Amino acid sequence: MSDALVQILEGNTFVVSDDCGDIEASLTDPTGLFSFDTRFLSRWVLTVNGKRLTALSTDDLQYFETRFFLVPGTGTVYVDSKLSVIRQREVADGFHEELRVLNHENEPVTLEIRIDAASDFADLFEVKDALKKKGRYRAQAVDGTLVLGYQRETYGRETRISSTAEAVIDENGLAFGITVPPHGEWRTDLDVVVMSGSYDGSTPSLVAGRLQVRRDMARGLEKWLRRAPRLECDWEPLESIYRRCLTDLAALRFSTLTMPGRSLPAAGLPWFMTIFGRDSIFTSLQSLPFTSELAATTLLALAERQGTRIDDFRDEDPGRIPHEMRYGELTAFEERPHSPYYGTADATPLYVVLLDEYERWTGDAKLVRDLEHAARAALNWIDEYADLQGNGYVSYQRRNEKTGLENQCWKDSWDSISYRDGDLPGFPRATCELQGYAYDAKVRGARLARQVWKDPALADRLEKEAADLKRRFNRDFWVEEGEYFAVALDIDGRQVDSLTSNNGHLLWSGIVDKTKARALARHLLGPRLFSGWGVRTLAEGEARYNPIGYHVGTVWPFDNSFIAWGLRRYGFKEEAARIVAGILQAAEVFDGRLPEAFGGYQRASTMYPVRYPTACSPQAWSTGAPLLLLRVALGLEPHGDNLVVDPAMPKWLGNLQLLDVPGRWKQVDAFGRGRVDTDRSR
Amino acid sequence: MPTASAGLTKASDPISEFFAVLAESGHLATFEGQSATLRFDVADGAEVERWHLAVSNGDVTVTREDGAADAIVRADRPHFEAIVTGRLNAQAAMLRGLLVCEGSMAACIMFQRCLPGPPGSTGRVAPITGATVMSQRRPE
Repeated sequence: MSDALVQILEGNTFVVSDDCGDIEASLTDPTGLFSFDTRFLSRWVLTVNGKRLTALSTDDLQYFETRFFLVPGTGTVYVDSKLSVIRQREVADGFHEELRVLNHENEPVTLEIRIDAASDFADLFEVKDALKKKGRYRAQAVDGTLVLGYQRETYGRETRISSTAEAVIDENGLAFGITVPPHGEWRTDLDVVVMSGSYDGSTPSLVAGRLQVRRDMARGLEKWLRRAPRLECDWEPLESIYRRCLTDLAALRFSTLTMPGRSLPAAGLPWFMTIFGRDSIFTSLQSLPFTSELAATTLLALAERQGTRIDDFRDEDPGRIPHEMRYGELTAFEERPHSPYYGTADATPLYVVLLDEYERWTGDAKLVRDLEHAARAALNWIDEYADLQGNGYVSYQRRNEKTGLENQCWKDSWDSISYRDGDLPGFPRATCELQGYAYDAKVRGARLARQVWKDPALADRLEKEAADLKRRFNRDFWVEEGEYFAVALDIDGRQVDSLTSNNGHLLWSGIVDKTKARALARHLLGPRLFSGWGVRTLAEGEARYNPIGYHVGTVWPFDNSFIAWGLRRYGFKEEAARIVAGILQAAEVFDGRLPEAFGGYQRASTMYPVRYPTACSPQAWSTGAPLLLLRVALGLEPHGDNLVVDPAMPKWLGNLQLLDVPGRWKQVDAFGRGRVDTDRSR
Repeated sequence: MPTASAGLTKASDPISEFFAVLAESGHLATFEGQSATLRFDVADGAEVERWHLAVSNGDVTVTREDGAADAIVRADRPHFEAIVTGRLNAQAAMLRGLLVCEGSMAACIMFQRCLPGPPGSTGRVAPITGATVMSQRRPE
């Protein structure tokens, strides 16, 4: 199998295949047709006269459509072929494949075309483990359709494969005995449809009714690009980075079953095409100056699934915003808690932050009124359910100790929160950025209460609580000798004292006393945290620092975009511009598509940023990072009905124009000229 | 129109009890700002029992009417009993085909807000010390 995997998707249905279009799933090759977190095809192999084909070229026509040009033979030497095969595949409710066989000879040719098909119906969670399935498989030909089925009690999933040309169907696939005329063509259309089953024998299509929506969205790509603000810049790569981000963001759009006409950003393509509270909120915040639709849908969709009860398996509490939603077999049988799972401590305060930021940009007070209950419940969660230690700080500890998440902050790997000496704290953990988000949620909630919900008493209370939180936080988390904030407080109230990028998020949320801000800016741009490309997750010199450790030394573009926003918030324009410079230059190296994270090596020592290998690309909040950095560089800030523009840009960007920035001011053009000398970091 | 209490009071029947409690409250904060109608067709052997739930900005009316609704929810009695007592998660039941929702998916998702959590969920768990975490160290 070729190393090159081809991915196309629409919503949460996607196909990963080799460059011939074939699917042969194995533990090392997670290929297949996936929908609703289930693999519906694990084998889909085309042969001509019993032989596999070779790819001449593969065209990604759209993010939902690919064309494969193939010739017979798998030899290493290309032989002038008398035959070519074209597969054009489009993801729909399953996929549609147009198969054409072209005869280039003067004689008719008789061929045996065969497609092998099979499915293991693996849950996405199972794809990388060799878990033994508990249900039964079946495969049969029914009225000209090959039906592959899986049944475990009442849980049924089906893949139905049919063809427009007459086929001989057996339980392993479809065969066509064909004769193609001289210089002629044979064609068939193959449809692969995914179905679910139920206790009463009905088998609804999993994605019924969404087909038209997808068509509209596909047609909408051009419209989506046209509607976004227009960007022009003397530094040419920025225009292609910008276009790449907008296109990737379009591919990452995801519709829920309850709001088929609307879309929110999923977390990553293709394995995380689902609602993630944290990722959807951060990406919505990043993209607000360019499109407000993603934020609005995110707010509505998360409110629908907001927690309402105590459920220890799902780590659910009333008012809590969900973390992740999944639809596969393990979730169906409650072997995994993702229906949805609520184990995140940041999404709930961030929900209120997004709601306020959305209103400041759009002036859409109606949505803020419609979501008043959700926002109040979220604010209530912070005090009522998140203060696990009764010390006035948000902490987290999973109640589902088997399949729940240990770290419920964005740095969610097992070793991400450590003391300077590398020891790990116990649980609950009160990480610092959570206190920042909670502070910001209260401040912003107060504004909404006063201006939109007309509840000045709530506003007063929230403001008082916010001021109190800020005072305590600046006392309890401040590491005096290092002049930065500890990453967390442990269960004894002791500081978890490593130096981390979380300090930048604290600036963003505004919880930092003005007198302490300069020391933070010095750290963030200092040699221990700043690599030259961006701010490392964990500072060099800490025991667990590793430049290629997931949350312990790599540079995350998403993290940096919020750090830059935080620096601007406290007036550190030049420092913010240096982060803008590093991340945009990294984006240029990665052809506009920033990875989730890259190595924290000193820039001077590697020349190029080293990609951290992750399964998903593009990743939503990496896609959003350049967008937020543009906002930071131009100093865009809503102020009542006006948009303030206050650029502080790297000199080498030259002139930058962002035209028709949408918002409550209708449309505004923003202009900036690079004046900050950032070259010393290069 | 039958009143809310009519036919809802069969003792020790968790489904009737569940709807009786909804009807009695007359208003649920979790439904504020929401409006939708749902019909529940609960199969008990060959018989189908029906409940009709109307939500209007948090106000709740329950009847045994066989009328139209934004969403029709169908399930077998044992499974629906498990759902209204928190022993079976509604979303998981839907994925397993134990609960079938026709019509407005938004109405179904709204409805599950008023379902109880699993019995035995306390919302509390014992703290874990740093020493314990360090003793469970994973491979680097």
